Amino acid sequence: MADELDILRRANPVPSTDPCFHDRALDPYAERRLNQLLYGERHRTSPRPLRRWLWSVGTAAAVGVVVLTLTLSGSTTTPAVAAPRPLIVEAGSTPVPLDQLADRVAASAGSQRLVQGTHVQTWSMGLTSGPGARPPITLPAERVVRWKADGSHTELVVATDPRHPGKPVLTDADPVPRTVEDGHVLSRQTYPPSWSDAPPVARPPHEAERLRAYLEEIDRTETMGTPQLLDAVAELLNNWTLGAREDAALVRVLADAKGLRPAGAVTDRLGRQGQAYVYDDTAHSARRMLILDPRTGAVLGIEDTVTKDDPEYGVKAGDVMSYSAWMR
Amino acid sequence: MSNDETFAAAYREHYWAVSRYVARRLDGRSSDVEEVVAEVFTVAWRRRSDLPPSPLPWLYGVARHCLANAVRGYGRRRRLLDRIGNDESAHGRQVVDSPDSASPGDWVHEALARLSPADQEVLRLTAWEDLGVDEVAVALGCGTRAAAMRLHRARRRLRAEIDHMHITVAGGTASPRRDTPKEHGHG
Repeated sequence: MADELDILRRANPVPSTDPCFHDRALDPYAERRLNQLLYGERHRTSPRPLRRWLWSVGTAAAVGVVVLTLTLSGSTTTPAVAAPRPLIVEAGSTPVPLDQLADRVAASAGSQRLVQGTHVQTWSMGLTSGPGARPPITLPAERVVRWKADGSHTELVVATDPRHPGKPVLTDADPVPRTVEDGHVLSRQTYPPSWSDAPPVARPPHEAERLRAYLEEIDRTETMGTPQLLDAVAELLNNWTLGAREDAALVRVLADAKGLRPAGAVTDRLGRQGQAYVYDDTAHSARRMLILDPRTGAVLGIEDTVTKDDPEYGVKAGDVMSYSAWMR
Repeated sequence: MSNDETFAAAYREHYWAVSRYVARRLDGRSSDVEEVVAEVFTVAWRRRSDLPPSPLPWLYGVARHCLANAVRGYGRRRRLLDRIGNDESAHGRQVVDSPDSASPGDWVHEALARLSPADQEVLRLTAWEDLGVDEVAVALGCGTRAAAMRLHRARRRLRAEIDHMHITVAGGTASPRRDTPKEHGHG
């Protein structure tokens, strides 16, 4: 049988002979970019807005289509397109320190079991920049992943916003953005059996130290700080529905993370009571809010909010960039 | 040569290699590749005093950080992971019913997508960017021994995934053949 690296080499999606990217002299665009770097803006002959790819997610044309659709069709039931506001901490509520919550959860022997698969409602913001940029749009979706005994799994994704039941929902997953009926199936897929032993597919441990190592292995490209930990937690929860023991271990791991401060009680987007813990990611002008169930310690959601205006993308401080709410 | 001249030479020599690196992780969306590569060289320009004599692995490292920081920085992790190839579900990688209907490489990508992002990256750098362990270490910002260990473990995991997919490669081509259970004869 062929060496796995040889197999992978033959599956190179962009070989060195690729017609678009093979080695050759710089094209005019690359040459112009080099001149801009070497000599500054005065050499720029044909302005080309450098859309920040990370924000755009290819929605420039898409947003235009959405706007046209809404304008020309005269839709009577307008979907919510404004950026949702962040959760508000209940005034006068008492913040519960993570240490205290970790102790409480560890002491209460819950009966929930670990289940492979997930059930998550997400809201993701799509952005554009440059000339003709449109206001940001928020794309809600519900995703259910279920595993079978033979190691295969199915994934169902539907467009829905539980805060606006029955109303049309924006989606760009087709990939042309448009409004669809509440509950419209965006994708339904079945995956073959997998026996991967790598996180996040591998079974998560229920001891704090081992769980921390597991989370670190999800993305080991750099040292795991609190932002990376929150990313890894989201990855874990996008693959597993934790049981009581794993929840307790995870709260302990979170209690040991630096910079997560208790903020008080919140009601999440699904109407559930939670305790909020906030991490201010000043380096990236973002605030990350973790919402935990005060009884079980289960992660109810993670909300990422922009803390600084970015006119290029029409984003204002306080806009929620993404929100994930996990359910059983 | 001044730092600026060194940078310009590296830019001219490696622009397309960096473009291929990015294209491989953006699932071939050529419209985005150009912009990401511009971002990579903008960062490299700011750090041009750090350019090593063999700059390509270092540029790959810059590109990797551009992708990772972008994902982390704006809380767009999930949607961006879709783009950089770490999320199999968002790629619409469905079950391949028939090897004949699969485009070359689909099943290998499927096996790769089941590994952790870190495993995927060390394998890609080795197989697609054709880097040696020393160069992988530069691109990943780790020591050579750590890079060798990561590669060893990642290869083992990829091997296991391929084995579990019951795929054999016939005749040295990239066309997969799924093993089918043999029927037992009656005598």
